[in-house]
Amino acid sequence: MKREEVKQYNGENGKPAYIIYDGKVYDVSDSRLWKNGKHMGRHKAGEDLTDFISMAPHDARVLEKVKYVCDLEDDIKEDNKMERYRALYRKYHPHPIFIHYPMGILYFGALMIVFALMFDNNNFELSSYYALVVGTISIFPAVITGMISWVINYEKTMTHIFRNKLIFSFILIIISLIVMSIRVYIGAGILNTPFKWIYVGGYIIIIPVMTFIAYNGGRITWPD
Amino acid sequence: MARLIDNSNNMSKQERLKALEEMIQIVLLRIPKEVEAMHFYKKAAEKSTTKEAKELFISLAEQEKGHEAELRRILAELKEQFEKIKSE
Repeated sequence: MKREEVKQYNGENGKPAYIIYDGKVYDVSDSRLWKNGKHMGRHKAGEDLTDFISMAPHDARVLEKVKYVCDLEDDIKEDNKMERYRALYRKYHPHPIFIHYPMGILYFGALMIVFALMFDNNNFELSSYYALVVGTISIFPAVITGMISWVINYEKTMTHIFRNKLIFSFILIIISLIVMSIRVYIGAGILNTPFKWIYVGGYIIIIPVMTFIAYNGGRITWPD
Repeated sequence: MARLIDNSNNMSKQERLKALEEMIQIVLLRIPKEVEAMHFYKKAAEKSTTKEAKELFISLAEQEKGHEAELRRILAELKEQFEKIKSE
């Protein structure tokens, strides 16, 4: 039998109740611990219960008491492909690597723009501009790898943490691109023009927005 | 399917959805931790030099696999309940 066929034997509406354990199919229809295709109100017939055995109050020898049906044919688990991606992600963990670039560079850039205002020094302004360009570019790999992580590790499940991260990442990209465009358009003397406070204000706003995204990322890594 | 939130009180649809989303998030964020622990114990088993240590780590890895399977089962139930309430 194949996995798909075993699923049909779900014990409902008088159908036999089959389960899979360690590549073998068993018939649990006559077991008093299985009722209408359910075991202890949790486990359903038709499914692979191999991974649940360590959580059970019994070991696999309990299957000696039920009828063996056959071995599974063509035994490839449905989630093998996703599991391969998860293993690759776990090995290279790209999101934790990439998030540190925009954070480090843009925090540095914001500090430089503050120094430029404090000391009226063009070198600080130029440093903040270069940091803004590199920081903005580095947001993209951070966001893309974060979305890949959301897809493969969390199966695109939307909860408020992921919603916050997605919305504020979008806001961060928009603000960064606008601030960078203003600086590119106005040029090096921007701090001596009426656009000064729009530019500086926009640059400074990037920091709490980015910090909020990082805070939500931290809540994923260290759930409370 | 076991009810995972209380429908008997006066919770509104929005409140029930919010409570379910909170539970989905708790379970969801825990799953990669179990997977991580399982791989850690598997690696430890591979590196073990004694039969006893190997068996201990294999047993711990199997327990973590069990936790993951149980959490995935609960997550699927919660998502099913969430969609059901959403479509009411």
